[in-house]
Amino acid sequence: MLQQLLEPTPLPPSIKANRIPSGSDTYNEVLDFLYDEAEMLDNLRLGEWAELLTKDLEYNAPLRHTRSTSQFDQTYSRNVQHLHENYGSMLMRVKRITDTKSAWGEDPPSRIKRLVTNVRVYRIDDSDDLKVESYLLLTRSRFDFDYFDLIPCVRHDILRRENGALKLARREILLDQVVIGTPNLGVIL
Amino acid sequence: MDRTSNPKLSDGTLLSDLINLETREVKMRALSDPELFELEMERIFAKTWVFLGHETEIPNKGDFVVRDMGSDSVLMARGSDGEVYVSLNVCPHRGMKISTHDVGNTMTHVCIYHGWAFKPNGDFIGAPVEKECMHGKMMTKQELGLKKARVAIYGGLVFATWNIEGPSFEDFLGDAKWYFDTLWCRTDKGMEVLGPPQRFTIRANWKTACEQSASDGFHVLTLHRWLSEVGPYRKPGSEGGGGDLTPEMYGTEVYTAHAHTMRCIELDRKIRRLTGKDPSELSIKEKLEALPPPGITPEMLPEVLRRFSDDQLRVMAWRPPQVGNFFPNGLFEFVYIPSPDGVIGVMALHAYVPKGPDKLEFVNWILAEKDTPPELKAKMLRLGVQLLGTSGMVEQDDSDTWPHQTLAAKGAVSKHITMKYQSMYENKRLEGWPGPGDVGDGFTKDDTQWRWWEYWYELMTAEN
Repeated sequence: MLQQLLEPTPLPPSIKANRIPSGSDTYNEVLDFLYDEAEMLDNLRLGEWAELLTKDLEYNAPLRHTRSTSQFDQTYSRNVQHLHENYGSMLMRVKRITDTKSAWGEDPPSRIKRLVTNVRVYRIDDSDDLKVESYLLLTRSRFDFDYFDLIPCVRHDILRRENGALKLARREILLDQVVIGTPNLGVIL
Repeated sequence: MDRTSNPKLSDGTLLSDLINLETREVKMRALSDPELFELEMERIFAKTWVFLGHETEIPNKGDFVVRDMGSDSVLMARGSDGEVYVSLNVCPHRGMKISTHDVGNTMTHVCIYHGWAFKPNGDFIGAPVEKECMHGKMMTKQELGLKKARVAIYGGLVFATWNIEGPSFEDFLGDAKWYFDTLWCRTDKGMEVLGPPQRFTIRANWKTACEQSASDGFHVLTLHRWLSEVGPYRKPGSEGGGGDLTPEMYGTEVYTAHAHTMRCIELDRKIRRLTGKDPSELSIKEKLEALPPPGITPEMLPEVLRRFSDDQLRVMAWRPPQVGNFFPNGLFEFVYIPSPDGVIGVMALHAYVPKGPDKLEFVNWILAEKDTPPELKAKMLRLGVQLLGTSGMVEQDDSDTWPHQTLAAKGAVSKHITMKYQSMYENKRLEGWPGPGDVGDGFTKDDTQWRWWEYWYELMTAEN
């Protein structure tokens, strides 16, 4: 009971038989969605990005642990997470940047590239939604620092068609690092 | 470095040259000097009690987590007797790290290098091929255990020290205990972590975070100004056109001999808003019912009322400690956050773990009372994640600030600039304030942070 309340709704599985082949129309549409989303975020078009979100959005980034090979499936923790967001809290994150003069953690903003690869698209049984898995390498350059903070992750998304256009209904971000190597996750993944 | 009671750095600078006790200034160089860092690890982190985690992280026999005491990795484990043990996570054979995992359960920690095995309490079990006696005959098995720290559990929090014969944990808390009891010891069943801690790295010296954690109120006005612009403290049509957090700065600040400090922020305005009544006309019980402490519901209040003195309850209902620190590197938050669902309490604990002179690891635990109803726990957890820690909309501004201070501590000129703590309380103690310790009343001041530096200096100049 408590676990259900603390943790996000489990994502539907990625079923091999439901895989939508790369190069198909649906696949290309998803790819364009992800590329356009990355472009909006990289260029701080955050208000426009927020319009891609469904009202029942769940947006999460579990914690990761170093454990043995036999416990590989137990390396994620979904009660306390790095991000545990809904539509309202994501809008607040956007408004903090767009509507204040004091979002210092990202003002001046980082220069960011969101490199999206390894995209796989799946139909979901008994649903018109799409499940999309992608790799994301986010490179973050801050101030005049001569290094990049790198945030590599896998994203498990649920995309839903609303009024003809794809929207983001769920996102789970699986980060590689146990100890996140950037001073904050004040950037959208 | 000359390690006397007034240590001399290799360029001849004395520690006493870096701090001015009269004018309450600290030179930036003290923030990030590599030689001072070495000394801090010996004279502070190997001497004081250090916060490591919560016992509910390791509820079962054999459960363990790997943590840091200063620059040393330690195993925090529950033994076969149900007690919590803290041991150096380093094999006494050849110095390999014993556990390379973050968390797990085992009754036998086996070093992967040569196979020496240890119990959760650190005792040496044996080495492979017992009859060949890999560990030789010069030392007994009792001598070959992991180096054990001294452990204290307080309100479920696990503290440890290498100072085996040193002051007790109660001595270390001193006057802070009277207040801390009202945070950590509020219910019979006690608290629990809502999950493992968030962890992330900041390229900043540990003291940038820790001197701030000693109850820096002023930074909230500017660095966290967004809270009143669009965040939970936004007041539609408010005086000053929003963006003014000044009213949140009034209350009482407490600072103690061992530099545990806290900001006891007044709740009267919130209670007036919630009840429509003048708080001075309400009893302590009525105020606590209107605005219970974070994680407490009105149904849980009878237990809370039973556990504390009238004086403590008065503080809990009026000016409870909301943010503060454990010296050297712990921060706590027991904050009352306005939300569309009413005021939601958030309870979090941070450790700022030193990782060399220019790096710290930020470890963030989110907690609730075990008896907090699950729905409320879920709200506290979400709000905690959204405001604090890795992605927290409040704390991402802090973590972006500390690296700049650390860089300034390196500049040939800027390392001689001083940090100033010259805003001082004139009203030392509000008449009738019932709690112990040094107390300042009114608008936030620098006294709490200055106490942090005074105690830092006291430990850094103590020989042995």
